[in-house]
Amino acid sequence: MDFIALTRTEEKIDTEQDVIILGGGPAGLTAGIYAGRNLLKTLIIEKTSVGGNAILTEKIDNYPGFPEGITGEELAKKMETQAKKFGVKILESDVQRIYVEGYWKIIETSNGTYRSLSLIIATGTRPRRLEVPGEDKLRGKGVSYCAVCDGAFFTGKKVAVVGGGDSALEEAIYLTKFAEDVTIIHRRDTLRAERIVQQKAFSNSKIKFLWSHIIKAIEGEKKVERLILEDLKTHEIKTFPVDGVFIYVGLIPNTELFKGILNLDPNGFIITDEKMQTSVPGIYAAGDVRGKVLRQLVTAVADGAVAAIEASKFLEEINNKEE
Amino acid sequence: MALLKDEDRQYLENLFQENLKDKVKIILFSDKSAGSKLVVPGRVECPYCQQTREILEELTSISNLLELEIHDFLADEIIAKKYNVDKIPAILFEKNNEVLNVRYFGLPSGYEFSSLIEDIMDISRGETQLSPETKKVLATVDKPVHIQVFVTPTCPYCPKAVRLAHQFAMENKFITADMVESIEFPHLAEKYGVTAVPKTIINDKVEIEGAVPENVFLEYLKSALKS
Repeated sequence: MDFIALTRTEEKIDTEQDVIILGGGPAGLTAGIYAGRNLLKTLIIEKTSVGGNAILTEKIDNYPGFPEGITGEELAKKMETQAKKFGVKILESDVQRIYVEGYWKIIETSNGTYRSLSLIIATGTRPRRLEVPGEDKLRGKGVSYCAVCDGAFFTGKKVAVVGGGDSALEEAIYLTKFAEDVTIIHRRDTLRAERIVQQKAFSNSKIKFLWSHIIKAIEGEKKVERLILEDLKTHEIKTFPVDGVFIYVGLIPNTELFKGILNLDPNGFIITDEKMQTSVPGIYAAGDVRGKVLRQLVTAVADGAVAAIEASKFLEEINNKEE
Repeated sequence: MALLKDEDRQYLENLFQENLKDKVKIILFSDKSAGSKLVVPGRVECPYCQQTREILEELTSISNLLELEIHDFLADEIIAKKYNVDKIPAILFEKNNEVLNVRYFGLPSGYEFSSLIEDIMDISRGETQLSPETKKVLATVDKPVHIQVFVTPTCPYCPKAVRLAHQFAMENKFITADMVESIEFPHLAEKYGVTAVPKTIINDKVEIEGAVPENVFLEYLKSALKS
């Protein structure tokens, strides 16, 4: 990564906005770019760090226009710069509550209350937990969900990566920079990850695969010492010694704040139509947080653009009604 | 070679022009011989001291309101002891002749560079970004609190924890808040069992895994004061 990563600025922000975007990942930033270019007064509220899940990826190789690949951090920084160029403000704050009052969408944050007529939700997802005994107790003691954050702690050690999707494989490859031995544990005997990523993993001498195995428990006194596995084909229970385990078994949408306000699908993702419209007029959802078939950077940014354009149309309609 | 890219320097120049109000002195405890091949008996290895010095020199050259004071950890042992600096590189801040309990141990690179910039702006303006409710609670703290936030430079969630801890320390002098770069101080990471960041340790007894919202962080602080 760059020697320094400059991400935030501090500035005065009006409490009334045309568009508020919750989440500063690729979907939110792109919505910002499009809203900003429509000269809408736009505020992005981000709880942790601008860039969202994209910055957790060391290198992105499937985003068009970057044949050599680009780091998630650099791409996010460019998107942020682009959004700011078109007048978008970014506030780092935790949203505590949202509610609707007439046309107004009210957002209560730890840094004050903001309101806007249109709202774009791009709050993304967080890693799904395995939900096995020991996972909570040993979180931060060998159980990790962020390879770029924590990989360096496992220099020369033995780790397991759980999952069979793009994230699991990419992070396993990343972890071979530090760990001596990386085992991918997957419950099926085939992978969901992109073929090219699969090839890379298969040809990496530090990576081994344990197919058709699930984790029954994570054990250790003060830190992770071993996994208890079940071979799904033979039902044999095995002990697997490791120093760390990285979990990439899916995503949970960050939609707790919207329960009871918006229609969610059974997995908690926000239901939208193709215009990113949710069940409440003037509220749109974009990116990984909405129910969709492909959660990728390219689809996130596409959602963001559609949501911002639809939000602009909505604002025009309201203005016309009021005149 | 400059560590700051031209565009970053330009960005910081504008940012400081708009946001700095009062003078801030940055105090670095370092190893004066860092970077030289000279072997001095008794010296601590400090592989990141030279880079820390370089980045701070560049940073303080951007605004007249910023000043850099460099101490040698060994030669200025008495001053180091006075500020409880027990490892290097260490960065502290002084405003109006008063040294704050806001500290960095290790090179503030990667995502932590942003924390450093925001800390400087808060200190210069004399105002944190915390909510009024949090400020009210922090004002009542009357016992020493030591917060250590373990980070790695590649962790995007870490600045959130560092900034909360540092702002807590800016609000109340009883609170000391340290960023600790885990890779540079492996013995401390080992001592506190850090294998995932951010990890926050309050008064050596309360642990916070991950970046948590301001109100949750405050609750942990309260529980550390109770126990």
